[in-house]
Amino acid sequence: MKSELAFYPGCLVLQRMPEYEAATRAVLRRIGIELHIVQQPVCCGSPVIESFSAEWLYPAAYNLARVEEMGLDTVVTVCGGCANTLTRAARALQDAGVRAEVNRRLEPLGLSSSGGVMVKHLVRLLVEREDELRAQTVRPLFTRIALTNPCQAFRPGEVMGYEESMQPQDVRRLVELTGAEVVTYGGEDECCGATLYLADRDLSLAAGRRKLEAVAKEGADLLLHGCGNCQLLLRRFQRLIVHDDEHLRIQALLLPQLIGLAMDIPEAELGLREGVLE
Amino acid sequence: MRHPEACTQCGVCVSVCPVEKVGGHALVTFLADPEATDYSAWLCTSCRRCEESCPEGVPIYALIMEQRRQEQPPPGYEAAIEAVLACGESLEVSQEELDQMRERWGLERVELPPPDLLKELLDK
Repeated sequence: MKSELAFYPGCLVLQRMPEYEAATRAVLRRIGIELHIVQQPVCCGSPVIESFSAEWLYPAAYNLARVEEMGLDTVVTVCGGCANTLTRAARALQDAGVRAEVNRRLEPLGLSSSGGVMVKHLVRLLVEREDELRAQTVRPLFTRIALTNPCQAFRPGEVMGYEESMQPQDVRRLVELTGAEVVTYGGEDECCGATLYLADRDLSLAAGRRKLEAVAKEGADLLLHGCGNCQLLLRRFQRLIVHDDEHLRIQALLLPQLIGLAMDIPEAELGLREGVLE
Repeated sequence: MRHPEACTQCGVCVSVCPVEKVGGHALVTFLADPEATDYSAWLCTSCRRCEESCPEGVPIYALIMEQRRQEQPPPGYEAAIEAVLACGESLEVSQEELDQMRERWGLERVELPPPDLLKELLDK
């Protein structure tokens, strides 16, 4: 069955990581899901707007109202920060009083919210479609992987819909689906450093280094990220951490890139160089 | 800031905080020890482990954000705030740059919001 879902890009995808969106689309297309991007998206609110304005709900609700305008009821995001803020907004909009207040501000824009949009982080969507994914993973990956859980996609468990919110296993399940071996290195839920970068660059890079060192020590082949913020710091900014310490130079992939490889999707479609796992 | 009444200073929040684990001192340092001065509300990853673990149900994340709103942001945040108010996104990008990038990747076109939209939404 073909599904049509909205896709909220967030600054991570829109300005920095088109490959994340490309890989996500390629994987979802294989299981019959077509994504339609939210037009005129504004910042989700995390962590920037929320840090200076108590009115963060309005822009978040605006983005959800754009989804409704598209005639869709579910929006997918690949960033933990976006998933968290938009889910909290969707929850807040269940209250008729809040909704009326928000709609007063959306009305001049020709938009409104009925509170009917569901927000899903990619990890959740993929776990929900686990059987279809399994059927498409035709190329088992014999590689040893150290994973990082997205820190903003699971809590508050009551809002994000996770019972095991302190020890989420979803990313592990998805990695194991590809045939890869998950290497335990103790840093699965530790800070990648990305969110600290705006506040304290040295601490941010030190956090990243701590992680790379733990992964290198366990001899994992690659680092797998369930959130693009981790990928941003530990792959794009890896050179700022590694310097001359070659042993810390570790390949890092995004979750949909790994799953895409297991589906035998050509590397180029996933934003990867050919033979990336060899 | 004022120490929340419901907090018993048990320190569970410090023990689960990933920022504390890498040597930073987040707002949870102050919750566990109201005498502490070496901590920052800006060192937070929004992971909410503290809040999820708090036996007293202290809304720690909301406290962190309230505290931030009363302070001068660090330079990195200040730049992001300026950008978001100028164009609605936390990193400035032109429509032309965006169109080129997305075309290169074969991705559907995205129209950027009008520059003043976020200010309108925030009633600024």
